[in-house]
Amino acid sequence: MSIETIRSIVGINPQPEVSQVERSLGSASGGGFAETLGGALQKVDQMQLNADAQADKVAMGGGNLHEMSMSLEEADISMRLAMKVRTKLVEAYQEIMRMSV
Amino acid sequence: MKLFDTTLTRLQQSLDVRLVEHNVLAGNIANSDTPGYRPKELDFSQAMAAAQQAADTEMLASTDARHLGPNGEGPAGAGASRATFAATTLVRDGVGNSPSLDGNQVDLDRTMAGLAENSLQYGASARAAGKKLAILRYVVSDGGS
Amino acid sequence: MDFLTALRISGAGLGVERTRVNLATSNLANAETTRTPEGGPYKRLDPVIQAVSFPSELGDAQQLGSPANQAMKAEISAIVADQTPGRRVYSPGHPDADPEGFVVFPNVNPVHEVVNLMSASRSYEANATAIDTLKSMAQRGLDIAR
Repeated sequence: MSIETIRSIVGINPQPEVSQVERSLGSASGGGFAETLGGALQKVDQMQLNADAQADKVAMGGGNLHEMSMSLEEADISMRLAMKVRTKLVEAYQEIMRMSV
Repeated sequence: MKLFDTTLTRLQQSLDVRLVEHNVLAGNIANSDTPGYRPKELDFSQAMAAAQQAADTEMLASTDARHLGPNGEGPAGAGASRATFAATTLVRDGVGNSPSLDGNQVDLDRTMAGLAENSLQYGASARAAGKKLAILRYVVSDGGS
Repeated sequence: MDFLTALRISGAGLGVERTRVNLATSNLANAETTRTPEGGPYKRLDPVIQAVSFPSELGDAQQLGSPANQAMKAEISAIVADQTPGRRVYSPGHPDADPEGFVVFPNVNPVHEVVNLMSASRSYEANATAIDTLKSMAQRGLDIAR
């Protein structure tokens, strides 16, 4: 019996599926983690700009008080999250650099 | 590098103008029984526009407290911001909408409502400014507070 | 125009209203007083209220713009006695009757005085609310730097 016959009977696919992790590491699309990070930072920046626009509207006399409060809080939270992620990344990098190989 | 953006400046101007408006309203309330008194008023959006313009144009520097301002007006106070000054020049006699026998035209109820709204908007601008500065402070202090 | 100015304006307003209340209560209390140290019946007192623009007590630095742009505070410039003659009642037995037997009573109309009292009380409350509002605004302003 040849291996190909056994394979066709059992149905084992010799090529493992490309997992999501490997995809995000850039093997498939070519962007990957850097792109994701950049996109996330872009969103955080967008929230800050939103909050600014709302605050401007209120300062000029119009605007919506609760909308302004919400967008300010969202900007604050997303900034804090970004800071936490940055801290973790830096820690992870330092951990890796400390490995003795 | 600009650390504090235009929004913060605009919020500060709005706080200044709101304070001038409060003064105007308080003056009307204090004079609600003065015969022949016409209430003063301030147009908020006009005042904001003037405040912005005052911030944009370069004002003449005065090296002495007694120097006259660029338009010939009185000495600009050390404690008054440009926005306050710009808003103050726009305070004018209102038309009054509450005629009475003694000539006083202050509508006390409307004035009180205006006072409440003004105070609310002042608080909103102050809260927004505080929040923006808090975000900045958080980032600068590297995640501490 | 700043917090101090606003405080003074409202404070002056409170003082004016307090004086109005005092005068109204004095008029009410003396509504039947036929004899006064100056002779003659009690004459009701009226305040003369005037709007004044702010004196630059704090020096020229506070004088922003022209007086037309200033918020005005109120003050009582004078208290005048109302000279309209009071009602005359024929009462020959009264100790203050004049030679014809008429007694002149004060020119106080209690209804007027009560209305003045209510109006002054309402304005007093309005000024007090203005001060409260100012305090909360100042607190919010300070909270920016919390």
